[in-house]
Order: sequence, then C-alpha cells, then structure tokens
Amino acid sequence: MVSGLGVIRGHMVTMRRFLLTFWRDIRQGKGLSRRGGGHLLVDLFRKPARGDEPRVQQDFKTDGLFTVEYPDERLPVYERFRVLPMLVYDTEDGNVRCTSCNICAKVCPPQCIWMTQAKSPKGTVVPLPEDFYIDMDVCMNCGLCSEYCPFDAIKMDHNFELSNYERHQTHIFSLQDLLVSSEFYAKTHPEAWNSADEVAERGKVAKKKDQRLQKALAGSKTAAAPAKPVPQPARA
Amino acid sequence: MANPTISRPEWSTVIDSVLQKELEQHVLVTSWDKLLNMVDTVYNWGRRSSLWPLGFGLACCAIEMICTASSRFDIARFGAEVFRGSPRQADLMIVSGTVTKTMMPMIARLYDQMPEPKYVISMGACATGGGPFKEGYNVVSGIDKYLPVDVYIPGCPPTPQALLNGLIMLQKKIDGEHITNAPWYRGDVERDIPIPVLGPDLIDLRTVELTAERTALGLAEVREADLPKPSKIPAPQPEAEVVDASGNGAVGAEAAKPPSKIDLIRAKARGETLPAAGSAAPAAAAAPAAAKPAKKGKRALARPSLVWLGDEGLKELAARLDAELGAGTVSIVQAGLLVAPEKLVAVALYLRDKNPIKYDYLASLQSVHYEDCIEINYQFDSTIRPGSLIELRVRTAEAEGQGEVPSLYQVYRGADFQEREVFDMMGVRFTGHPELKRILMWEGYAYYPLRKDFLEPYYEAPAKVFPSRVDEGFGQHFRAEEVNPHGTNLKVPQGFTDWASLSSGSDPKGQPLLPGAIDVQELGTDQFIVSMGPQHPSTHGVFRLNLRVDGETIVGLKPVMGYMHRNHEKIGERNTFLMNFPFTDRLDYLTSMGNNFGYALAVEQLMGEDSRPPERAEYIRIIMAELTRIASHMWSIGFLLNDLGAFFTPALYAIEERELILDLFEWAAGSRMMCNYFRFGGVAFDLPPGWIERCRGVVNDRIDKKIDEFDRYLSQNEIVLDRCKGVGVLTPDQAINYSTAGPVLRASNVAYDIRRAAPYSIYDRFDFDVITGPNGDLYDRYYVRLLEMRESAKILKQAVRDIPDGPILPGKKSYQIKVPAGEAYSRVENPKGELGYYVVADGSGSAYRYHVRSPSFINLTALEPMCLGHTIADVVGILGSLDIVLGEVDR
Repeated sequence: MVSGLGVIRGHMVTMRRFLLTFWRDIRQGKGLSRRGGGHLLVDLFRKPARGDEPRVQQDFKTDGLFTVEYPDERLPVYERFRVLPMLVYDTEDGNVRCTSCNICAKVCPPQCIWMTQAKSPKGTVVPLPEDFYIDMDVCMNCGLCSEYCPFDAIKMDHNFELSNYERHQTHIFSLQDLLVSSEFYAKTHPEAWNSADEVAERGKVAKKKDQRLQKALAGSKTAAAPAKPVPQPARA
Repeated sequence: MANPTISRPEWSTVIDSVLQKELEQHVLVTSWDKLLNMVDTVYNWGRRSSLWPLGFGLACCAIEMICTASSRFDIARFGAEVFRGSPRQADLMIVSGTVTKTMMPMIARLYDQMPEPKYVISMGACATGGGPFKEGYNVVSGIDKYLPVDVYIPGCPPTPQALLNGLIMLQKKIDGEHITNAPWYRGDVERDIPIPVLGPDLIDLRTVELTAERTALGLAEVREADLPKPSKIPAPQPEAEVVDASGNGAVGAEAAKPPSKIDLIRAKARGETLPAAGSAAPAAAAAPAAAKPAKKGKRALARPSLVWLGDEGLKELAARLDAELGAGTVSIVQAGLLVAPEKLVAVALYLRDKNPIKYDYLASLQSVHYEDCIEINYQFDSTIRPGSLIELRVRTAEAEGQGEVPSLYQVYRGADFQEREVFDMMGVRFTGHPELKRILMWEGYAYYPLRKDFLEPYYEAPAKVFPSRVDEGFGQHFRAEEVNPHGTNLKVPQGFTDWASLSSGSDPKGQPLLPGAIDVQELGTDQFIVSMGPQHPSTHGVFRLNLRVDGETIVGLKPVMGYMHRNHEKIGERNTFLMNFPFTDRLDYLTSMGNNFGYALAVEQLMGEDSRPPERAEYIRIIMAELTRIASHMWSIGFLLNDLGAFFTPALYAIEERELILDLFEWAAGSRMMCNYFRFGGVAFDLPPGWIERCRGVVNDRIDKKIDEFDRYLSQNEIVLDRCKGVGVLTPDQAINYSTAGPVLRASNVAYDIRRAAPYSIYDRFDFDVITGPNGDLYDRYYVRLLEMRESAKILKQAVRDIPDGPILPGKKSYQIKVPAGEAYSRVENPKGELGYYVVADGSGSAYRYHVRSPSFINLTALEPMCLGHTIADVVGILGSLDIVLGEVDR
C-alpha cells in the first residue's frame, strides 16, 4: 500500500493544472500580457482608467488561471448585487420617489433606517422624507427594504468600494448621501428598470404627476404652487 | 596652515537664481527633513508592499477574507499573502467579523503581541460598529472602542474585492506616513491596549471607575423601568383532546378538569410538590377535557414537526408509558408528551431501550420561558425507524435560578452541550450533569440572557419594529450607544461591588473546563495542559480546545466555545418572522441557502397550506440547497486537507468550484454568501434569464469532472490515507448516542439523512443514495462528503432538467406575515447535518421562542471521545472532519 503511487497520481493532477494554466494563456494570446493591462508588454506598467477595467466573466468553461486581478480587472456586477441602499429621484423633474411611508423601516431587520416625514409650513403631511438616515455600521445589506418598497424608491447600490478612514462622521448616510438619479438606477439595474412592474409603476406615477400639474396649472393663476422641499441630489 | 581655497571657474556653473530656488525647493536634498522624506518613500514602499496579515478570522467576513487570499482574488498580488498564524510575525490585523465580548480580551491580547508598526483593518459592519448584531448582549459595538482602526470597510460582508479595496486604502495611508511622527517611534505614545476583563459583563479597565459609579447609581435599572417589557405567554395546556372528543355538549360536565391542570402547573412553577401529578395527567389523557370556546386567533395544527409519529401513535405511546412506568407519567400537551420531571430519566430509558420504536436519537433539546414555567423540550427520533419524531416536555419553576430538571446526560450523551446551553441561557440546572458550566457566555456573567425578563444593554422594545424608527418625530438618527447609560454595550447589576476582583489575567471562559487528569500508565511523561485557540489557524474560527496531553498523547479534551456567540436567538425573538431571514444567513455562513430553507420550513409549518410553495419555487429551493451542499463540502474537503498539512493546493482547487457556485448565488439572490433568498411560500425573486443555462453548464459539464479530479488527486494519496485511516473513530452507537448528524453520522455507517428520514419539500421525487462510510474514521468522513457531492450533482441534474415554469410565490409578496400561534420544529439536512429550527409563535408578528438546533454545535459533543489517545496533529484533522462553522456553533 505504501507504494507512493497515490501521491504521484495526485501530483499529476497538480502538474496537469499547472501546465494547463500556461497552455490556456498562450492559446488565448495572453501569454505575455498582464490581463488587467491590455495586450502589450509595455502595458505591464500602465493601468486601465478607472471604470474601464475589463470585466472577467467566469463560468463553467473557465479553466486555467482563475485569478481576477482586481483593481485592474473586475468581476461582473450582477444586477441584483447589493451593498448599501440608495434612494432614487426622478431625473426629469428631481422628484424624490420616497413618500416616507416607513415600510422600509418596518422591514429592516437590524433597524438601521430612520426617517421623518416632511411637513408643509401649514403643518400638513407631505409625502416626502424630511430626513432619511441609514446607519451603514448596522445595515446588513439584506435588500429587504428595496424588495418591499411599493414606490421603487429605495434600491440597492452596487458600489462596494466604500473603504474609508473614519466612521463616526461618515458612516451615517443622510438623505443627501443616499440620493441617486433614476438615470443612474436605470443604468445599473437595466433588467429591473425594464421589468413590467417598474414600467407600470412609472406610468402610474407619471399619470399622477400629470394630473397634479394640470391641477396646478389650473390653479396657478390664483397662487403659486407650493414649492416642494426637494433636496438637492448629492450624486448622479 | 590651511590650504587656500582653489577656485576653478570651469568647475562652477552659473545657475539662474530662480532655478536655484526651485531646485532647492523640489529636487535638491538640502535639509535633514528632506533626506528623511526620501527615506520615508522607501520605507513606506517597503511596508505597504509587504503587509503580513494575522491569520485571524472572527465570523462570516473571515470567509470572504480567506477567499481574498485564495485563487480568485489572490491577495498575494499586494504582497500580503503571508497570513501569519502568530501575532508576533504579523503587522496587519484584519478584524473580520463580529467582535464579541467573549473574544474581545483575546483580540486585545493579540493586538498587544503584534510588533510595531501595526495596522488594523476593520472589515465589515460588525467589526466597524456592531453591525446587525449590535443589539445583542454579547457584541462589542465596534472594534474601535478598543483598537485604533486604520481602515473601515463597510459591507455585510464586504466582498473580496471590497477587502482588496480596503487594503489599497491602507497602502495609501501608509504612503503618507513620516518616520518623524510615526507613533511607534515616539516614546511618549503608549500603543498597548489594556486587556478588558470578563466580569459581570465585559469591563474595560480604562473606564472601570466610571462604570462602577454608574452601576452603583443603578442607571441601567432606571432606564429599564420605563421601557415596555416582553410579555410572557402561558405554557400550552392539554387541549388536543378537545378536538378528538368532538363533544359539543360536554362543555359543562368536564369543566372541572382543565383548571386542576393549570393549578398543577402553577404548583409546579412555585416549586411545590406535585400531589395532583398522578391523578390529573391520566385524566387529561383518557377523559376528554372541556371543549373550550374557540380561542381568539388562528392556531396552527399541533404537530411537533412535519414528519412525526402522528396523533394515534403518540396516544398509544402515552398509554404504553403510563402502563409501564405508572399512571401519570406522561400526558399529551399540544402533540408532545408532558413528562413529570422525576420520571424523565425513566421515560428516556424506556424510549431508548424498550419501546418498540427505539428512540435512540436525541435530535434536539431546547427550553422555552413561559409565564408559569420554563419548559424544556426534547425531540427524539429513531434511526431504526426514521421519521417517527416525538416531542417530550418537562416543566420546571420559572423563577430565576430555581429551575431544576434531571439530566439526560447518562442516557443520551448528545444532551451534554445542549443542557449546558439551556443552563447558560435560562439558568435551569440539570441534576446529574457532570459539568454543568456555562457554555456560550462565561462563568460570572451576571444574567441568563434568554429569559424573557432579561433586557439587553441596548434594549429598546420587546419586538421590532422599534417605535423610534417609525413614529413621527422620533425619526432622528441616534446610535444605540446614546441610550445606554454607560455609553456602550454594557450592563452590570446594581448590586455588583466586587470591582477589585477584576483582573486582566483571569480566564473565566476556559478555566472551569480544564480536563481532568487521567493517568496513562505506560508513559513516563508529565502531563500538561494546552489551550489551543480561540485564535488558531486550524480551529476553523474562534474555537478553543483545552487539551491535557501526556507527552504527545491526548488524555483529556474540553471544547470551549462561545467566542462567537452573537445572540442569534435573542435577536430572533425580537425580529418579525420576515426579518429573521437575513439573520439565518449568518448562522452557518457557508450554507446560507440551507439555513434559509430550514427557517422557511419551520414557519411554513405553522402557516399551513396557505404557504405551500409553488412547484417552480420548490425546484429552485432544491437547486439552491444542493448547490450549497456542493459549495460547503468543497470548502470542507479543501480545508480538511489544509489541516492535514497539504497546505493550500486542495483548498485552492476547491474554492474555485465554490466561487463558481457563489457566482450563481450572487446572480440570483444578490449576494455571494448572505443570500437571503427564501421567502415564506417560495423564494424572493425568480431566476434571472440565463441563470438556469449556466447552472446546467456547471452541473452537467463541470462539477462531476471536478469531483473526479478531487477523487484522483486525494482519495488514494498515501499520506492522506496514513493520516486519516483509523483516526478519530466514532462507532455507530456512539455516533447516534452523541446526537451527531450529517456526514459525521453517516460516516459511522448510520444511514440517517433527513432528506430520506423525514422528507421535506420535494426531496421524495429525486433519485439519490444516502452515502454511508464503513468505519466512522476521519477518512470516511472525508470520503462521505466527496460522494455526497456526487449525489448532490445527481439531484441537481434531475432538478435543472425538470424545473417547470410558473410563479415563485403562492400569493402576492407581502411583508406582513401572519403566523398562527403554535409550535414547530423543522429539520433540514444541511451540509453540516441536521439543522433544526424550533419556533414558538404566539400569534404576534415575531416568534415567542426561536431556537436553532445547530449541527456543528452538537457534533462537537463527540469531539472528546474521538480525540482521546491521539495526538494534537490528529485533533486538527478530526476537528476538520467535523466541519464546524463557528457562526453556527455559537450562534
């Protein structure tokens, strides 16, 4: 039994994989280039521009070298990939979709969402958030808030490059930090954006807005429409 | 006489004075500072390019950290591949995961042992600020409370790419350092951290005076006085008979019976003798009790689990027990047998040895804190006739420290850790248990945390949603620290005065568990005790072993755990049912899909037929569960070989396959590890377009080949055979008696697989074999896992072939889940073994009691008998073959 054949056979497996790595690279013309850096030898010292890094899709056919050389190349970001929540406002009119209905705060498992509803000067309720905080030191990136939001207002961001040097000032995201445009959302979540549900919801909202506009236009002769407290988007 | 200065015009160059100034400013080294700056550049470059992280992982994030170090992300590209096992050789501490109070002294110690310069990366939400577990009683709200943190990486968990991003951030920070003001070259900066002490709570010695002062003032008690407390419900009473009696007119005649039963329970709760025990119980079993008017609210069907003995069988069994052991031994309460405490051992012995269906397997044991009693309940199954699960209940006094129940340690050794857990969490004593010590918390911790009257330091409300989040006017953000009088996750009983006794050198966690001396005659060597862990590269997490070795032979072994106890159950009792899904992900973080599955089944059992998943959802669930099994077994085999000394190659190969499966999870569910994909009655989203094709590719064209490669690579390797054959043998009887589960049990030649024994979901439709090993040694446990992957692939092939189209949820998606009151125990065959969820619902939005029967935890019970007589090198392999995950061991 102690012939050592098993060990040798095992080593053949590693040897095979070792050689395969080179064979694949040569066959795919990647023998001399760094994968993250383009196709020339000089690219060894040049990095692709931020955001232009090649995406490496790996699937069941992947063989050979398995490494994805972040940050010079990246794994594909799947649409459902979730890191922190973000709040969507409509690009065309700056309307924040959130109506502060509190459902996200109600489903949030670690209870990391705080919000207050906006009030008009008269004291009536305005369906907009006055304040919206997410404590990202508590958030568990579970995505339940975006899953159960009836207004498609809270969605999960894909940005995972959030490292920083300080937490007490920066890790509580306020409304300003959370807002993103619907244009950005449509770009990062094309599948969801084009899904029947969201298209229908957008249609409904557009219709409602149109009605409100007509109403406001009709009444604008008498008084200026009450300005909605639309927070300025922090990033697009 | 000095030589006159020779001035040779051709040697001197006339430089434009402006240029001269610029050169001096930017290029020339004209001052000491500038010279140092140049040194800085080289010095910083050297350090930033060779950061050696401490091989130190705490929780889920550690898995991502390991992935970062392995084939796909390859942290070696940053010069950081040398994960050091010893802090003395490392200069980067990646705090990866939940920092618990139990672990905190160890972390401080490790940090102090690291040589300067040293850096700390806080990875993930938990390490940064407590994360989702922040509200727990055993969680430190942020490692920065103790250590100086250089880089925070948000995310839960941060993906490996995010960790690499954090590492790059750290490198940038290092680039900006100057020799002149680096703290480690300054004599006046003390960088060592005083070790916090495990006293009545985790006490930070830097602020101990303040803590003592505030404790003496009783500020915590004052705060708690105004808070709404969790309400307690009465224990279920025997009313199953009511349904059977179908006596519409029997209301008045039998009205006397139930109160007597309640009196009995109350008497028991007061700790009085039980004069009525003999007479009332059989009456309840034999004579139909009063038909109570329908209770308000829906009740779930009374059954302990989906597959069980059945009402008829239970009645028969109750009658038999009464006949054998004297009338009044048992009575049927909500499809479980209520046993008088003094008869418990006799009943267990009868069930194990004499009953026609031999109940030889103690599946689970847990406790519930009711208004009038603490109930300990036991789920038994038979490995000879699987699927005939029964539940036993024992009730004892409710008051703190009063409860006492006979131990089943001598009948079922699997009760060992579980009874200790009940003692730790509820304060119920088990008479006859030889080592009734706290298991998850430490000796000296002031509270019994799972009692309903224990409020955590950050307690806000009995159930989520917390009013401060939704009520108008309270939506302003605050940190939990702000509500606690100590400003941190700390609560000490007002009566505590013994502050002087707190010492950094104490070890209340491990001290009571030093294994006793067994004299080995033939060896003339001295015995000594080795504490292995909780920081050890081979313990698969923060797990600790106290070993007594005689020379090299192990003569005693005690597992010490709780270093990652993050209060899953306590938090689970406050979560709404839906909220708990993402928390289950974080139990066994390698198998989050399987954890979701079990939890979904438990609540669906209560919800009944309304929540029956549609066909497509069932298939998706099976596909996900089996992919998880392959991913988990891959990991386990890879790291078993790692433990056996094959270093990293098998693990790297295995992780590649796991990564491809994780890609599938990320695509469908949105996260690599914390999938949070199941919902009651189905799954969260339908599979994205193209998913099933890639899954088919992985399943049909890849997995089998890779498993074959592993088989060729490892199974006949002589070194593997030498290290594994005959090591850590667990006989079938032992395996059953120690309540081991999963591959560990099956490797001992017990064909007990929940997918067959108590089929759930649609497992009964698939063709697969239950793999068993002949010898129960380390090799069999390895090989059973390998073969099980093949069986999983077989199931997957059938599932991806047959998956139908259709809806994925029975109704509309809603966050308001209505769960009828009742009790459920669901079991799934997770990769680690039988994962059980015990849920008591009281009709409200959250579980009244929520308990996880974790296979990793209970499998550890068998570690001691497996290891005795072997060497420490073998212990590492044996522990690897148990495949524990600390998130599940400690919960």
